[in-house]
Amino acid sequence: MVESSKKKTVAMMLFSAPFGSQYADHLCRVAERALDKGYAVEIFLYSDAVHAQMTEQNPKLFFPVGEAVKRLIEKGAVIKSCEICSIARGYIKGELKDGKKDYSSTKVINGVNFCSIYGFVDLLSRADKVLSFGGS
Amino acid sequence: MPKLVIEISHSPFGHENAYAALFAAMAWVSMGNEAVVLLRGEGVHVGRKGQVDPFKNIGLPPTEKQVTEVLEMEGRVIADRRALQMRGIRAEDLIQGVEVLDSGEISEIMIKEGERFLTF
Repeated sequence: MVESSKKKTVAMMLFSAPFGSQYADHLCRVAERALDKGYAVEIFLYSDAVHAQMTEQNPKLFFPVGEAVKRLIEKGAVIKSCEICSIARGYIKGELKDGKKDYSSTKVINGVNFCSIYGFVDLLSRADKVLSFGGS
Repeated sequence: MPKLVIEISHSPFGHENAYAALFAAMAWVSMGNEAVVLLRGEGVHVGRKGQVDPFKNIGLPPTEKQVTEVLEMEGRVIADRRALQMRGIRAEDLIQGVEVLDSGEISEIMIKEGERFLTF
């Protein structure tokens, strides 16, 4: 168990959509284990991986990625999703509203945050470990 | 300076991978960090020069511009020699500044500098 005062951060990038491959499953399992071991876990959903944030996923035969994402958030994982990838795929509008970007959406699991690629780069520079999932 | 190694193994245009990888590399080096982009397998096509206005022709941006920007910001872009040979691509077909190394040398970089390693 990692002591909280020395909590190390594991950054994980997911690059593949759920169900089309098992990368999302693997990431969720590793992330949950890392949380259980006392690591701070921060996840970046990039490209097609933003589909992991979708509400009302209902896989009959596959690993339930949506449920795993909710559980990771409940356990304290920080999940950030690529803003421009999410806009492109219709999850958010990202337009300015009262001086702030509008990320409200009924299509996105509560607790998922949005950031640009610079948010990901910031995470990369802070993290003690970096794990990459997907790419094919 | 923190280092990031990014491996691209998909060609441009057919997949989003190369663009996503190069955007991450550009953001990383623009913040004063060091990045090494490895072009392996089909990814070597990312480093080819002379891409003919792909945005106009097929609605996708040229990786040539992105690679050039990474190089201009002092990032390294390295193509796998064997992957180039297998595809009949010569060193002179590559964007100026793209290095060509053997797989053993690339492995050394991954081991030595890959404290942050992303695959696309």
